[in-house]
Amino acid sequence: MNLRDKLRAVGGPVRAPAEPRPETAADCRHLSEIRPLTEFPGAEELTGETLSLMTEKEIPPRLDPRKILYLDTETTGLGGAGSVAFLVGMGYLTDRGFEVHQFLMRDYPEEPYLLRHVAAGLEKFDALCTFNGSTFDLPLLESRLLMNRMDRGCLRLPHLDLLHLCRRLWKLRLGRCNLGRLEEVILGKPREDDLPGSEVPQRYFTYLKTGQESLLTDVLDHNAQDIASLCVLLNHMADLYLHPEKIAFSEDVYSMGRALEKTRHREEARRCYALARPGKMGTEASRALAVSYRRGGDREEAARVWREMIARRQGGAEPYIELAKYEEHVRRNPAEALRLTEQALSLLSEPSLENGEAVQALKNEVQYRHQRLRRRLKERNA
Amino acid sequence: MNAAQLADQLRRDNHFMKDVTRWEVLPARPARTLPFPAGMDERLKAVLAKKGIHQLYTHQTHSMEATARGEDVTVVTPTASGKTMCYNLPVLSEILKNPDARALYLFPTKALSADQVSELYEMIEMAGVDIKTYTYDGDTPAAARKAVRQAGHIVVTNPDMLHSGILPHHTKWVKLFENLRFIVIDEIHTYRGVFGSNLANVLRRLLRLCDFYGSHPRFILCSATIANPEELAETLIGRPVTLIDDNGAPMGERHFVFYNPPVVNRQLGIRQGAVPVTRAISGMLLKNGIQAITFARSRLTVEVLTRYLKDMVRDPLGNAGRVRGYRGGYLPRERREIERGLRAGQIDAVVSTNALELGIDIGALDACVMCGYPGTIASAWQQAGRAGRRQGTSLVFFVASSAAIDQYIVNHPDYFLKKSPENALLNPNNLYILLSHFKCAAFELPFGEEDGFGNAPGARELKEYLEEAGILHRAEGRYHWSAEDFPASEISLRSASSENFIIIDITDPAHHRVVGEMDRFTAPMLLHENAIYMHEGRQFQVEKLDFDACKAFIRSVETGYYTDADLNINLSLLDVEKEEQSFGGGTAALGEIKVTALVTMFKKIRFDTHETLGFGHVRLPETDMHTTAMWWTVPDRVVAMFPSDRLKNGMMGIANLLRIVCPLYLMCAPTDIAVVYQVKSPITDRPTLILYDNCPGGIGLSEKAFGMRDILLGRALQVAADCSCEFGCPSCVGPAGEVGEDGKKTAMRILKEMMP
Repeated sequence: MNLRDKLRAVGGPVRAPAEPRPETAADCRHLSEIRPLTEFPGAEELTGETLSLMTEKEIPPRLDPRKILYLDTETTGLGGAGSVAFLVGMGYLTDRGFEVHQFLMRDYPEEPYLLRHVAAGLEKFDALCTFNGSTFDLPLLESRLLMNRMDRGCLRLPHLDLLHLCRRLWKLRLGRCNLGRLEEVILGKPREDDLPGSEVPQRYFTYLKTGQESLLTDVLDHNAQDIASLCVLLNHMADLYLHPEKIAFSEDVYSMGRALEKTRHREEARRCYALARPGKMGTEASRALAVSYRRGGDREEAARVWREMIARRQGGAEPYIELAKYEEHVRRNPAEALRLTEQALSLLSEPSLENGEAVQALKNEVQYRHQRLRRRLKERNA
Repeated sequence: MNAAQLADQLRRDNHFMKDVTRWEVLPARPARTLPFPAGMDERLKAVLAKKGIHQLYTHQTHSMEATARGEDVTVVTPTASGKTMCYNLPVLSEILKNPDARALYLFPTKALSADQVSELYEMIEMAGVDIKTYTYDGDTPAAARKAVRQAGHIVVTNPDMLHSGILPHHTKWVKLFENLRFIVIDEIHTYRGVFGSNLANVLRRLLRLCDFYGSHPRFILCSATIANPEELAETLIGRPVTLIDDNGAPMGERHFVFYNPPVVNRQLGIRQGAVPVTRAISGMLLKNGIQAITFARSRLTVEVLTRYLKDMVRDPLGNAGRVRGYRGGYLPRERREIERGLRAGQIDAVVSTNALELGIDIGALDACVMCGYPGTIASAWQQAGRAGRRQGTSLVFFVASSAAIDQYIVNHPDYFLKKSPENALLNPNNLYILLSHFKCAAFELPFGEEDGFGNAPGARELKEYLEEAGILHRAEGRYHWSAEDFPASEISLRSASSENFIIIDITDPAHHRVVGEMDRFTAPMLLHENAIYMHEGRQFQVEKLDFDACKAFIRSVETGYYTDADLNINLSLLDVEKEEQSFGGGTAALGEIKVTALVTMFKKIRFDTHETLGFGHVRLPETDMHTTAMWWTVPDRVVAMFPSDRLKNGMMGIANLLRIVCPLYLMCAPTDIAVVYQVKSPITDRPTLILYDNCPGGIGLSEKAFGMRDILLGRALQVAADCSCEFGCPSCVGPAGEVGEDGKKTAMRILKEMMP
């Protein structure tokens, strides 16, 4: 039995042999299209300052919106050294509109050409925008450049990963934040006849075997649409950051407040919390607002919010405890502090559905405070 | 009483000595040292001086010198001989000279890696240098992984992690691959069979990537004593090695006591259990304040013995804490605490599974008690090596169980004491294993037209086959991975076939847990419905075997029986590789066969008496396996000597003897080989005795058996002759109920005819 027969016996039968392929050209395939600017409202007005509301990354304040590159890859697998980006799409704004350039390797030998186009493209821009690029597209491109012994410096652009930025805003309300869902729910434009991402690798492998380029039409469309959506989504988010009052959902405004705190925009965050207070995230927003004031050293404003919370019966015992601290340490009014502590204790004694241990720990802490205040008052009266 | 005094007393105790089959004294051995090798880093010398070391043992200096000459080395020395210095010193010297240099350490288990890292840390800290040592395994937090990849000078991991976590993601490990100077593999004797065959291929992949990144690492391998360390090492890494086995560490006098518990039922050949005897011996050591380790084969026995010893010394002062159990399943923190307690002498007795057999540092103890034979000579020596101070007397007791293999050892102590005859075997070219790793390699880096895969044969055919199968895509002379799968996730290094059955314990309905896996060729035999499956000394019954989903569901039970599946095996010949005339007029051959297995029924067999309690039916599909085999045809003259029934009984007896002898000489588990006798074999069309590798593709056992076939038959005859039974028992030809009253006699006569 020769090795070939043994392999068949061990590994199972094989398929029909592949069609012979023509020799490949000295470049990869390059496709481009231009989409009208009207599809990208606000894209030309986007500024570095607005972006710096959204991300803590270093963004040049005078960033030209035309210097942002929107990038998305289609790959043969989910990672590891054997996964290849066979299609890389790059979009950017020009006078003519939103240009999308797609580089497709028609076979593996074209990969170096594709990578050279990508590297050359990246060189011309000041910022990069992707969806989940920090964990997927960029490490994959880095790996491909390395495997082709090419310089990886081109990937070191300031990078906006929209997956992370969108999660900050919409995870609370939507849960999962994949691009399709965001297009549908946030942009109100559900995609039709789209090729599911999970089918992309198999399409490409079949194309490799048969050479039928028409198999890739759906893949190319899917990729171009992803890139356009990146730009639309980024600008939609920028608009919301500038005008949080436009946001319809209390969860989203509250989430934006939290996001703004991450990027250290305290004033803007407070504005969001204030906007969210009447809605269903009222308690969380009020609490976040009070904490924000306290952290900023504005104890009076914080106390005002805590008092409002008490008036609105929000936040359980916490506002009482926080006010008690304020009365004791800022106003030097232990009698009032004691009274608030007693109220907190009585609230904590009510039956609760919350975690018993955490409630008990809090209760112990308040009781300790209560005793200390009583001792202090007694000493003062004595 | 100290160990020497106890030894004297026992030797005068006739009651004890009547069951001792051998008392061997190994004389003390002085230290042999050499100065530090020329050019050794001053900082390292200073660290060693702080530890009170001013000279090195011969094997340590020699391995430093050999690595400095750029050779790949294999160090073979016993436990506690300062083996780790043989690799730590060359590696640290290299990194001190060149701060970019990297080293990769491979240990077979996680516990062992933890121990080695702490020892390295200590040396690095004492030297006050910036050498980063990290463990990279399943427990490494995701946040720390990046630092390990970027900055780790010494990356400590295991073969499984290297295979599935590092090699397929090599582009994240550029620093490591570009600067890899040393690959250290400790405990290489554990890499035999399927595990070793897999590791050899993982190393082929690793070296291929090193080539891509332009590094040329050297190997430092360490092994316990086995018959063929050089062959094992060279097969693993695919290139020649320098053997260093001049152990220079001193050793005090050592007494080896082989103890065979007395026979309590002569007819059935039943002996007193090994556990109560072990309990008595370990108890005696404990009472005399002799620090000892007791090895038991199952976790359950460990617990039983631990409890007994604890009860013996339990008092209000908490002395029960001087006795500890140690086994897999204990938390790492608890294990570390026990290890420290042993080193510091706060623990007098520890009862362990083979978890403590590998190189974990617990210092040297005064005595070791082995409750049963651990399976291989190498393990037995490693366990014995736990006792033995550099000065003073130490004691090792081997307590035999009634298992055939234990009885062989206790009646042939020379087999253990003389040069180890075990061969650690592996077969990197097992086609199933090779093909799986070849795929992984293609995923990691495309193959060029002329590229080989280490020293594997048939790289061209493999590439072409995978191209035809649509897994590789060929373009301009390169073969690119073009499938969606992640090939490394399809192989488990510890078994040969990619489709493993997982075993799920459903005893607790709220908490199903996976307790193990088994390859698809063994599963029908051991995991058919209603089979009793033993796991960690506990009994489970298989409730359901989902053949298509490759899952077996088991539930904890307590029964007085075990099950034995009746395997209907059909063998067919694929290829004859070698055929030779054998003694007595028959032929002996080596080749490839197809094994078709069908399980139709099983027997319930009572423990102890081995009587059959009942039968059950099994409905499962057939399974196919290609593997290597060797076979003997029975000489015509022998066929003519006996009526056909007697011949069959005798040959079945020989098959049983070979099942006992082969694992000893081939260093494999009894389940790794199968021996069958066929009256009219489809392979030869004649009465034939066939031995085959019980694993798809084979792992080299049949080849080795073919080479030493006369020795195996000779040993088989010796086992039968030395066995005290009259008409056969499970420890030799099998019980008379199976091979007939004259089975033993016939087997011995045939063997004499078939041997020179």
